[in-house]
Amino acid sequence: MKILIVGAGKVGSTLATYLSQEDHDVTIIDNNDAAIHRASETLDVMCIKGPGAAPSVLREAGAEDADLLLATTNMDEVNMLCALTAKRLGTKYTIARIRDVAYTDDLSSLRKDLNIDTVINPEYSTASEISRLLRFPAAANVDTFFRGKVEMIGVAVREDDHIVGHPLSDLFGKTRGILFSAAERKKEVIIPNGSFVPQAGDTLYITGTPKDLSAYLRTLGRDLPKIHSVFIIGGSRIAHYLSKLLLSMGVRVTLVESSEAHCRRLSELLPGALILHGDGTDQELLASEHFTNNDAFIALTGRDEDNLISSLYARQQGIRKVIAKSNRENYTSVVRDAGLDSVVAPKLLTVERILRLVRGLQDKSGNVMTALYRIADTDAEAAEFILRDTTPHLGTPLMDLPIRKGFLIAALLHEEKVIIPSGSTVLSSGDRVIVISHGKGIQAFTDIFQKD
Amino acid sequence: MNYKLMLRMMGRTLQVEALCLLLPLVVCLLYHEDPRPFVFTLLPVALTGFLLSRIRSQSTFFSREGFVIVGLIWMVLSLFGALPFWFSSCFGSFTDCLFEIVSGFTTSGATILSEIESLPRGILFWRSFSSWIGGMGVLLFTLAFLPKVGARNHILVQAEVPGPIATKLVPKTVQSSQILYLIYFALTFVEIAAFLLAGMPLYDAVVTTFASVCTGGFAVMNSSFAAYNTACQIIAIVFMILGSLNFALFFLAVTGRARQALHSDELKFFLMAVAAASLLVFLNILPLYDSFGRALLDAVFQVASIISTSGFCTTDYNLWPPFAQTILVLLMFVGGCSGSTAGSIKCGRILLLLRCSLRSLLRLSHPRAVKVVKLDGKAVDEKTLNTVFSFAILFFLLLGVGCLVVSLDGVSLTTAFTASLGCLSNVGPGLDAVGPVSSFGRLSCLSKLVLSLYMLIGRLELFPILLLFHPATWEHS
Repeated sequence: MKILIVGAGKVGSTLATYLSQEDHDVTIIDNNDAAIHRASETLDVMCIKGPGAAPSVLREAGAEDADLLLATTNMDEVNMLCALTAKRLGTKYTIARIRDVAYTDDLSSLRKDLNIDTVINPEYSTASEISRLLRFPAAANVDTFFRGKVEMIGVAVREDDHIVGHPLSDLFGKTRGILFSAAERKKEVIIPNGSFVPQAGDTLYITGTPKDLSAYLRTLGRDLPKIHSVFIIGGSRIAHYLSKLLLSMGVRVTLVESSEAHCRRLSELLPGALILHGDGTDQELLASEHFTNNDAFIALTGRDEDNLISSLYARQQGIRKVIAKSNRENYTSVVRDAGLDSVVAPKLLTVERILRLVRGLQDKSGNVMTALYRIADTDAEAAEFILRDTTPHLGTPLMDLPIRKGFLIAALLHEEKVIIPSGSTVLSSGDRVIVISHGKGIQAFTDIFQKD
Repeated sequence: MNYKLMLRMMGRTLQVEALCLLLPLVVCLLYHEDPRPFVFTLLPVALTGFLLSRIRSQSTFFSREGFVIVGLIWMVLSLFGALPFWFSSCFGSFTDCLFEIVSGFTTSGATILSEIESLPRGILFWRSFSSWIGGMGVLLFTLAFLPKVGARNHILVQAEVPGPIATKLVPKTVQSSQILYLIYFALTFVEIAAFLLAGMPLYDAVVTTFASVCTGGFAVMNSSFAAYNTACQIIAIVFMILGSLNFALFFLAVTGRARQALHSDELKFFLMAVAAASLLVFLNILPLYDSFGRALLDAVFQVASIISTSGFCTTDYNLWPPFAQTILVLLMFVGGCSGSTAGSIKCGRILLLLRCSLRSLLRLSHPRAVKVVKLDGKAVDEKTLNTVFSFAILFFLLLGVGCLVVSLDGVSLTTAFTASLGCLSNVGPGLDAVGPVSSFGRLSCLSKLVLSLYMLIGRLELFPILLLFHPATWEHS
């Protein structure tokens, strides 16, 4: 596919990396010499310098016959204009990043008026990801499928868990409604079968309905009480979206922000939250506000280092759920080893979302990919598809299907009912399925079948 | 300071007053009464107005001039407005005439008369009509219907329209003023019609409407509203409440944005205050009554009358138990909504004061907490809050001073306190010797002058009149 990326910032260049690796023709447009220089040196892409919203620049980049335009500059307005102009010039599909709080309420009409195909808001996605994590305090991460009907949670296995040392086939009968979809061991992802033996230190990815998952966590002895109060440092956009989500769920929110003017703005937008003016990494301030009395601590300042260090501090002080935002992948593994399991990376979330869209766009068999998550920042992925009449092997029991090694059907939604598949389960048109893949970069649903 | 422009503005306003004086003159002629008081007044008013309005001036002025003009105009207006009373020789002294007309223009409804019904109809008409003019603001009228005098009219509106934050309905000040007056006209006509339907005589209906839609409180009967039937009293309740609402709400409702209008915090607070106070008063006075309905009607009427700062009565609440009286006195502090014809501190300010105080409490346990104080979901800036606090402090300070002055007359503390409060809040009558069936007539000349000034201060929301006494106003001008 021919893809234009306007803005070679964090998200833009990461996307360019992934997309060019997936064999797409990528052209990057940016107004900044340094950014262009960096991209042309490290990536196999074409680079054009100039204002991305200018028709002449877009034409030069080939917007007339481009399949996709991604507008990811740091200005919402420029992104909107880019998408609008590119569409006029003939680009088939446009994606614009719009993240200002002022636009979010009218997003659907804005999208329609400007003829933008998809709007992405990384901050909002991150906030809803964090709110999901807070709903399963025991899980290190939570991904949702089937519009929230099914979730996949990652749980770190401890020494004293009863599942340690027993092959999964032994657990049969005790795991109603849930499926062990993937396991991460020493940075490697394994798609488990019946002979898989969980060990302490593994992270198990379990799929099921929220209700069944809670029930299973209870049998594991991990049913942490619900989160009632949250302490957030950093008044970023993510913090704003998150506070709004949490307040609507009836959670008490305390938010520390270092700019007083910004505090006032937050106080206006979030009447239910307690907004404090100060440095979120200041231990004196944290202590005077009794921050350890909160059920969760979330670090969302602009500096990843601050977020990680204060999260470690919060963990050490005994707050039971700690989440940090960090876009730097190299730090993440360090803090994981130090005991911080929930690190969210807005950049990765955005990249995942866009990759899913791109793959969905080119799936000729018409099985629309509706969700895609990366497992533990590795090459393992969980993808959701909708099956069509044209999908092969409909009506055949799963045990008879020629499924390739490294793929697993983790769950399906048949007539609005969630089914955790067994060998006798059959697929039918209209079903939604979750496919776990390992190392293959799933593009289309048919990838899971062996080629004849 | 742009004195020439100030004089010119004053001339314009006096021309409006002259026009207004024509109406009572017509009433005099209709009822075959002596028209001389009005003729004698009309001539100097019209002449002064004509001469002043011919002064050529630059059209620029600033906030300071705006406030001073408004303060001075209201004083001059009152001085001329007192003349018909003086010429009619129904009043004892010129101080009495002045007190009565100021009470009219400021929509207070405090009176020095104990016998009202025997007065000529023209004089009574002027007394109530002055309330109607003062209710919406005479300057607003001048801006709305006379050719433009100067730029920056919004400064004048801000000084005359009550409330902590003056809201514009439409981009142009002149059009905003016209809309406000149209709403006011409409309310007036509807109320007159309602009274007529309920069986009130035409003259009473017109004059009572003038005094009630502006939340004034001048009655044409010695017994105030007790002289009319239940239907009339219910109509009065409705219109006193309507008069205490922000007129911007009517504009929103008429232009199809009723839902937006209902979202007003101030409106909710006001209606809740009315409901709660009515219930408490009703329960407290119920033992005094034989009839359940009569007690309820009296309770609601009196609560509506006081909170709207009208001051009508259907019963002598001087005889009510202390609890009910205390509630009425507390309501005198509250008043109606911003942008209404009601006086006193107003619900908007009370809400802001309450929210500010709650914020101070929050700051004690969370010293670093940042919280904006909001009204209708919008943050109110600290400068406005500061002004609101100053307003409250000045209000209470003036109240104390007024109380001291009146107490020199040797009256009871209740009398002194409620007289001062009644005038400052533009409610009018208070309790005890200045109660609903008594009058301010027996107070000393000094008290009457001070209370007249207080009514003006209260009507213009303290600052325009107080500014006249501040040295900075007159520096470098």
